[in-house]
Amino acid sequence: MEPTPLLRIRDLTRHFAVGGRVVKAVDGISFDVQRGETLALVGESGCGKTTTGRLLVRLAEPDGGSIAFDGTEITAAKADTLRAYRRRMQLIFQDPGSSFNPRMTVGALVSEPMHLAGLKRAEQTARVAELLPLVGLSADYAARYPHEFSGGQRQRIGIARALALRPEFIVCDEPVSALDVSVQAQVVNLLTGLQQQFGLTYLFISHDLRVVRHVATRVAVMYLGRIVELASKQDLYRRPRHPYTRALLSAVPSHRPGMTRKRLDAIGEIASADAVPSGCRFHTRCVHAQHRCREEDPALRELAPGHVAACHFAESLPS
Amino acid sequence: MADDIATSHPSRVVALAEAATDARALLSVRDLTVEFQTGQGRFEAVHRVGFDVAKGQVLGVVGESGSGKSVTALALMRLLPDHAARISGGRIVFDGSDIVPMREAEMCRIRGRRIGMIFQDPTTSLNPIFTIGHQLREGLRVHLGLGRAAANRRAEELLNLVRLPSARAALDKYPHELSGGMRQRVMIAMALACEPQLLIADEPTTALDVTTQAQILELLRDLQQQMGMAIMLITHDLGVVAEFADAVQVMYAGRIVERAPVSRLFANPAHPYTQGLLYSMPALEEEDPPVLPAIPGMVASPFAMPMGCPFHPRCALASDVCRAAVPPLNPIAHAHSAACWHVDAMMAA
Repeated sequence: MEPTPLLRIRDLTRHFAVGGRVVKAVDGISFDVQRGETLALVGESGCGKTTTGRLLVRLAEPDGGSIAFDGTEITAAKADTLRAYRRRMQLIFQDPGSSFNPRMTVGALVSEPMHLAGLKRAEQTARVAELLPLVGLSADYAARYPHEFSGGQRQRIGIARALALRPEFIVCDEPVSALDVSVQAQVVNLLTGLQQQFGLTYLFISHDLRVVRHVATRVAVMYLGRIVELASKQDLYRRPRHPYTRALLSAVPSHRPGMTRKRLDAIGEIASADAVPSGCRFHTRCVHAQHRCREEDPALRELAPGHVAACHFAESLPS
Repeated sequence: MADDIATSHPSRVVALAEAATDARALLSVRDLTVEFQTGQGRFEAVHRVGFDVAKGQVLGVVGESGSGKSVTALALMRLLPDHAARISGGRIVFDGSDIVPMREAEMCRIRGRRIGMIFQDPTTSLNPIFTIGHQLREGLRVHLGLGRAAANRRAEELLNLVRLPSARAALDKYPHELSGGMRQRVMIAMALACEPQLLIADEPTTALDVTTQAQILELLRDLQQQMGMAIMLITHDLGVVAEFADAVQVMYAGRIVERAPVSRLFANPAHPYTQGLLYSMPALEEEDPPVLPAIPGMVASPFAMPMGCPFHPRCALASDVCRAAVPPLNPIAHAHSAACWHVDAMMAA
């Protein structure tokens, strides 16, 4: 029997009403997150990846579908039940600077989740002294303020705060995108090291396909509120099956000067989530689109074991 | 043209020990120093930087926050914030004239006309209350003295040039009605309106999604070849440089630390900082080591610049000489220079 996934997401939906229009930010997505893995969620701005992350940790309310955490349905859980689960799942933001209260010391910021969870003062202090070195910061920094630190150090503070209650699952929302290039690798190494040390499970949201290739176990590609492809990292990078995934991969600049760029499978820009195209929502940008693509919404199909994609013509795309 | 670039450019990017400007270069910068005065004190954001850009050349300038790459660009356009910054030394010779001592009225005939510019975020550079057409026509009328009808025709031509879908209709649109990629196309159209000899592009694709970035880079490349203009492309993204530039200079803490033709820099990076940047980036085509070879530490603060080589606190090779003296940017091979005391050891390794 398959082990119970840590998270089981089915038909999750979140629509927003904006100025009389409906924005389908997340429009019926299903996937599992296995214990100890890093599932990367990739896509361009407006694809719904950040909303998905917030739904999973219940920072946003879904309109439909279900979220099961460790076998228990938490979609409709009341506040007190949810509180117990909240300790087990945390979020790391892109820009830790803007998510911190500037008047709180580093110690207070890292303690806050423990304070809210009702831990004693002494326990909190001891844990802060343990957490700061764990993320590569001096324990003395507890008395200082976030503005005294660089972007990389602030992200380390954000990670310490997320680890405070010993969670099992962490949503990392673009955790290195705002950092200087020379500091990104340090934070990536920190996150992968902590995962090994504590057996953490990550949902890693990113638009950076280089970083994703390094950290991910499996990769889900989102486009306009839907997952269009999901596969193991090896399969996805070696043999992307959806034209959008192919476009994303071929658009990443190579580090080999003089390499001629492969022709892009996509044209134009992402459509608006309040005017989702008919049929396949990628057809307006797809160089392979045919009549059927405008009419019929393709379902996610298994093309190889563990490799699903939502394209009518996945088998016949030119290589 | 392509041959011309290949043969003439490497000679233009040699280290410039002497302060003579290169008369053949379109842009020749020598000993440029920019000083900032802030509440926390005074510091040099750019320190004695020198480089040339030849006609039709694409020079990539790579660096992180605080490297001085954007300040250099602002200095070239004389757009430094008056109250906080000034060019405290050096020369910026554009097409034979030093623009550092120029009066503002004179500078206005160069800026936007002979030197075009595009920035990272098109939303902040476009005026939200005027239509795209209005903003394009304004530049054409001021700089080129075109009449209303001629300016309108040219504006439409320019939008077609940057491949904006339905160009004529776009003239009557406001910036918010366009997507990020389309706004960047409009910015490019505005920058190219007067067919500048030099285009300064500061992180032109950083705010865009990756598929849009690829399309904008392709457009810039086509236009550059079509118009034969030189481009100074400022970016933190080595991939963008690899794809786009003829020559690259790497900046760190206000100084140029390495300069080379693009293929040479990626094949044989000589400065430990350049090597660190290249090796710490996850690969797209092959498997990385489980732990990425990261550069330790963080970018030096301008208020607490280390003695000696500014990179030494983060450098595995740092020795006494690195802690004592700033290494000069010295030639190490044809068209390749680096500012590192241990460059011989690095190249031998």
